[in-house]
Amino acid sequence: MNPELIEKVTRLVVEKLQSQQTADVKQQKSSAGVKFWDHTSNPGKEPSKMSVGVIETEKQDTGGLIKIKSYQNTKDLKMTSSDKISHDKIESFSEKRGIDNPADPVELQALMSKTPARIGVGRAGLRPKTDTWLKFRFDHAAAVDAVYGDVNDELLNRLGLFKVNTMVNEKEVYIRRPDYGRKLSEEAKKHILTKCQKAPTVQIILSDGLSSSAIEENGEDVYLSLQQSLKSLGLDMGTPFYIEKGRVAVMDEVGELLKPKVVVLLIGERPGLLSAESLSAYLCYEPRKGTIEADRMVISNIHKGGIPPAEAGAYLGTVIQKVIKYEASGVSLVKKEG
Amino acid sequence: MLKRYDAQKENIISAGIDIGTSTTKLVISRFSLMNMAGGTHMPRIEIIEKEVLYQSPIYRTPLLTASSIDIEAVERLVREEYISAGIKPGDIKTGAVIITGETATKQNAEEMVHYLSDHAGDFLVATAGPDLEGIIAAKGSGAYEFSKRTGKTVANIDIGGGTANAAVYRSGRLCGTCTLHIGGRLIEFEDSKIKTISPPVQKILHQWGAALKTGDSRNQPIIKKLTEYMAEVIGRMLRKELHQDDMPLLLGHEPNWTENIECIMFSGGISECLYQYEKADSSPAQYDDIGKTLAHSLRNCGELDSFNWVKPKETVRATVLGAGTQTTEISGATIHAEEDELPIRNLPVYQIRFDNDLEKGLDQIPDAVKKAVEIYDPQKEGQNFALYLTALPYLGFRDIQELSAVLLKSIEAKPLPNQPLVVVLESDHAKVLGQTMKVQESQQSIVCIDQIKVEHGDYIDIGHLLQTNVVPVVIKTLTFHQ
Repeated sequence: MNPELIEKVTRLVVEKLQSQQTADVKQQKSSAGVKFWDHTSNPGKEPSKMSVGVIETEKQDTGGLIKIKSYQNTKDLKMTSSDKISHDKIESFSEKRGIDNPADPVELQALMSKTPARIGVGRAGLRPKTDTWLKFRFDHAAAVDAVYGDVNDELLNRLGLFKVNTMVNEKEVYIRRPDYGRKLSEEAKKHILTKCQKAPTVQIILSDGLSSSAIEENGEDVYLSLQQSLKSLGLDMGTPFYIEKGRVAVMDEVGELLKPKVVVLLIGERPGLLSAESLSAYLCYEPRKGTIEADRMVISNIHKGGIPPAEAGAYLGTVIQKVIKYEASGVSLVKKEG
Repeated sequence: MLKRYDAQKENIISAGIDIGTSTTKLVISRFSLMNMAGGTHMPRIEIIEKEVLYQSPIYRTPLLTASSIDIEAVERLVREEYISAGIKPGDIKTGAVIITGETATKQNAEEMVHYLSDHAGDFLVATAGPDLEGIIAAKGSGAYEFSKRTGKTVANIDIGGGTANAAVYRSGRLCGTCTLHIGGRLIEFEDSKIKTISPPVQKILHQWGAALKTGDSRNQPIIKKLTEYMAEVIGRMLRKELHQDDMPLLLGHEPNWTENIECIMFSGGISECLYQYEKADSSPAQYDDIGKTLAHSLRNCGELDSFNWVKPKETVRATVLGAGTQTTEISGATIHAEEDELPIRNLPVYQIRFDNDLEKGLDQIPDAVKKAVEIYDPQKEGQNFALYLTALPYLGFRDIQELSAVLLKSIEAKPLPNQPLVVVLESDHAKVLGQTMKVQESQQSIVCIDQIKVEHGDYIDIGHLLQTNVVPVVIKTLTFHQ
């Protein structure tokens, strides 16, 4: 975490926003803060609050079944009053949005329901309407937050993952030096070698990559579902762990160290303006130093508005099964299958 | 050498068989299925092309007596047509047998469709119901397609021998249906004399105080007056302005759409009389009834003049084409289906609405299962049913575990809890839910499919697992006329 940097970016964004807004909107904005986005139909997500909610409900658990309230409810309960007010305001905001007098409202609605892209938003003269523009800024801010944020330790503890580092020590370096993100620190290597089972069939790794929100929001569901899927397929999955500030090819180093058959890396995607919390699952058969990119494969777009995380986990199991059957991944797998 | 990446592909053969009041026909088509999702996504299998391979001639529906169908003759006819088409019943992976019009009122109608669906193909679905006839005909005639393309409100009126089935579409969305006792065979002739008059027509004649009886000459002005009246009733039905006097011709519910109809399209045998699409030699069946007179009356009816008439793509073959090419849907590609349990036929659907609230939904499940047993299996004979979960909120993995446990617990209330648990989901969660149920209860056989839209009270049939890991699903109603 680099608080100064976050503050700097926040200030930049807020300044830009304020220059566009009326006094009324400014007030609303300051109560919401930048760390607020609404790209799914769910109410605003404050990642750390969400995970706290889940942990608390877990503590109450008495029977064999895990009682978890729906995410939406948990969040509603945990939302502070100011959050709630600002959220309501956003809702009424988005109702106003759109084309003033559409020729065919039903058709327009049908088209809009087919894509999350910013269509049918109307315009004011040559520019977008203020609320459209604001929404755009919100989404941009969320993307920035996702890149500069860190994954909550609580989540990692809950999933029983230990944390190691790459050669990157701060996010600025991570962005400027992708090669550092592909190499594990010396300490990390030692850690992995002492803690992990050697030569498992499947090695699961999680990493924040370019979006910590991806792991925070969706990592748990994919991971638990994948775990169950592997278990039902009778595949041994070694000791999973978390790599902070990793890049996709970091799996090659892990492959060298542990010699697993398959590595699955759940890593945050570069955030976009529709979702800042999209997760990818990269798979590779026997990744080693010098593995070429064509031998990796990916299931991307895993988030609440894309591929449902729990379903993705279940599906990944069958993909891994196929990779093991053909002893190949990526383009090599396509060749062998064909 | 570089190999081009080919998306997953598969072809399946579909059959459609329409047993109508006057005619029986068959169509064989081929569907091409392909994975339409990109390489980095979960597969999404869609039907990308439908090609009609073979169309049978139009046969007269074989009857044993006035009130029963000659099942053997129909089966023989179907088998011969399969040979002409060059296919075996085992090749057919999906499709539907539909029994339409007045044939559905015959004593052995139900026996007929079930027999044919069991013997004429591995997964051929039995369907019946006046609303469904209208819907299938509208898809076969091109009315559905037309409404989708133009955004207009289109009524398709399929008039055959016994019934006129209207279905109204707007922008590809079904607005409503209505069925009338109007058709070519309601009065039949033989040797220029009246051979039969169907009961609904008798009621109308009675209301008019007219005396028309079997044996009378066919050249009576009242017959023309009757067909003109029928055309007017269709016009009033389309405007939802049916009179009290028209009620004897209504079959089932009144028009239930709210939109104003802009365009009308006619399909069915009467439409053939209007447009003559068929080659003269394609129909061995000859008709001696009021069909042509009715077509003439439709053409000249003032009530229908104000609508924009659109020519159909198909006339007499609309329903059979609809049954053969428009009834099959494809499930999501990530599902949990145990092949030993497939195909599953005639499964009633019980819907459980979650209203985006998991806890509320979970609370409903045990009661819903009990109610479903009461409705679909009152005698506790073990009639299975499918649970259809809709408006689910976002489900995390732990939510899925909870849902799975509740479902497994609830089905203990079924008379035969061991029969397969069939769950249909609207959203894409079938694989994880199926897998979770299997982990929690490994002895329970489970069929869990998703991305299917059904309605409470519909019946579904689920076919064999295809190579692309999807199942064909046919959604239908199964109401035989009283």
